[in-house]
Amino acid sequence: MELKIIHFYPDLMSLYGSYANVSVLRRYLEALGCAVTVQAAVPGEGADITGADFLFMGAGTERAQRFAAEDFARYGAAVKAAAEDGTAMLFAGTAMELLGASVTDKDGETYPGIGLASFTTVQGKRRIVGDVYGVTDLFPEAVVGFMNKCGETRGVETPLLTGLSLGFGNEAEKGPEGFHWKNVFASELTGPVLVKNPRLLETVADAICARRGISLPEERPVFPYAEAGYAITAEQLKLRAEARQ
Amino acid sequence: MRKFLAILVCKLGRAVGKLVGKGSSMPGKFALKICPDILARVQLPGHIIAVTGSNGKTSTVEMIAAILRAGGKTVVYNEEGSNQIEGVTTLVLTHASLTGRVRADVLLIESDERYAAQSFRYFHPTEFVITNLYRDQLTRNGHPEWVYDAILPALHPETELILNADDPLSSCFARGRDRVKWFGLDRCPSDTETPTGVYHDGACCPVCHAPMEYDYVHYNHIGAFRCTKCGHHKPATDYTATALDLGRGTLTIDSSITIQLAFRSIYNVYNILAAYAACRCVGVAADTAAGVINNYILKNGRMQKFTLGEHRGMLLTSKHENSIAYDTNLRYIRAAQEPCTVLVIVDAVSRKYFTSETSWLWDIDFDQLNAPQVQRIILSGRYCNDLAERFSFTDIPREKVTVQADIPAAAAELKADGSENVYVVTCFSDRDKILSQVVKEA
Repeated sequence: MELKIIHFYPDLMSLYGSYANVSVLRRYLEALGCAVTVQAAVPGEGADITGADFLFMGAGTERAQRFAAEDFARYGAAVKAAAEDGTAMLFAGTAMELLGASVTDKDGETYPGIGLASFTTVQGKRRIVGDVYGVTDLFPEAVVGFMNKCGETRGVETPLLTGLSLGFGNEAEKGPEGFHWKNVFASELTGPVLVKNPRLLETVADAICARRGISLPEERPVFPYAEAGYAITAEQLKLRAEARQ
Repeated sequence: MRKFLAILVCKLGRAVGKLVGKGSSMPGKFALKICPDILARVQLPGHIIAVTGSNGKTSTVEMIAAILRAGGKTVVYNEEGSNQIEGVTTLVLTHASLTGRVRADVLLIESDERYAAQSFRYFHPTEFVITNLYRDQLTRNGHPEWVYDAILPALHPETELILNADDPLSSCFARGRDRVKWFGLDRCPSDTETPTGVYHDGACCPVCHAPMEYDYVHYNHIGAFRCTKCGHHKPATDYTATALDLGRGTLTIDSSITIQLAFRSIYNVYNILAAYAACRCVGVAADTAAGVINNYILKNGRMQKFTLGEHRGMLLTSKHENSIAYDTNLRYIRAAQEPCTVLVIVDAVSRKYFTSETSWLWDIDFDQLNAPQVQRIILSGRYCNDLAERFSFTDIPREKVTVQADIPAAAAELKADGSENVYVVTCFSDRDKILSQVVKEA
């Protein structure tokens, strides 16, 4: 089986090791026996996203994000159609904000997102940073990560993380975080969220494969360092969350 | 009266603090409570040099102080690196008379990049050195542009900026200003044609986001950059490294003075250049500066030689959460000739705050260790699995890499076996965990 990944703006939206989400996903899919191609979408050049199995955009600075938004507008209709059709996609960090109706920057200027969802983001002069420990409806294990943003996102009806015991969510301390609809995964958890959360990686891989009519084998690919790294971070963050209560 | 009281309290606080071994920010904090604008009420020296940036602040400040003193100037500076407003206040008041006069030719301040605007609210530097702006401690700093926006209000129109011509982002501070002096490095043999590293902060212009091109690159995205659209480019330099041979350890500045490098690393070159530029700007002769910088060995202990069993070792302090600090040290190891083992330790991400954040590991170009002389790589500390996962995405042969979470055990295994050189790559937060296991060289 051949799978095609589109990586939007890999140089521009590249903060916090965002690219590693694609690296681990590719390794996982290859371990399942798939052939994977990764195509970069570069500003100004336009990319053909028809037939893509997975779309990805990572975190960028607020200025890079705004520049990306201008170019990303051309993909709006195609991305929405693909999402409706069940295509898997991940928008991590500030890229998540571009799925919404609008983003207002710290100078008060508002620009549109692609409107895949109705949420809106307002960025401020305060940096919201900190470790995150939360839960999702997708699997029983906790989700770990790090928040580094300056925006508050309101109006998310279907969050990815339904609750946090540590960290700041879309619009509130310990509130729900991210966005999940069909096979669209989005989170402001920055850095490689799929590296840090092997279950989330598995969930995304499953969504990609299911759409192509293949189910994950009983014996899943296992990457021991990723599992061990997750276990230690989850333990550390759980202790931290408990100490704060 | 409040001024007198603030100075007195600060001096007393500092004296008591020294006795009990407490930090240097508390006395300043008390003084600021008594007299919030105390820094506007004191009489400061004619030259106030501030140094900020992501990397190289402490080393640059240390060298500036040494050069100025060799040039016969009296210098007051924050040797303990308390670089926020409280620490700066302690520094100033401790060295002031009770009437508020600071007795020195130069006040030299290492300033935290995020708090510079706060520190310089009541007075402004005459010279402001900005070494560079990279991805650094993103857990606190957000990202480099966020830091840029935080520094910008700290730059008074009358202040002369001393900027790195090779850094696309921090060079933007010159936009719309007249009083700027530039330091930079001409093309040299160790350059590459295009940016290096796993991410490309030089790919897009920081001003207009159009693609950038390079005539040559010294490391990562530092070099002769040129925007293809808006014209943002490396400016002509006032203080220039005109020749550099890292293999021989020789550096020529302004085609006239040649310096032997005690530490043959590109970032040592930039720290020297920044220090040289600052000292020349305040009137120190070129020869005086050269005399100090020649074979200068930093006293801040960022490089520590040691022995471990039959091994000779060197600790290369690399700030966690700072991929360029890591990359430059990995490049140093890559240039080594002798067979070696590399020990990478990530145990506590920070000594100042809690975090389990390790995404910065993915920004480090560990593939630089894929070199024949690097025979073995040991990954250690609490986050050794995150390191190992990162290494599994390099081209380094798997059999070279071992994982040992326990740092003393990793040291013991090394000690028991072999005599090759050892390089340890880790941060301030973790360095004592390995230095306690070795015999340090003076």
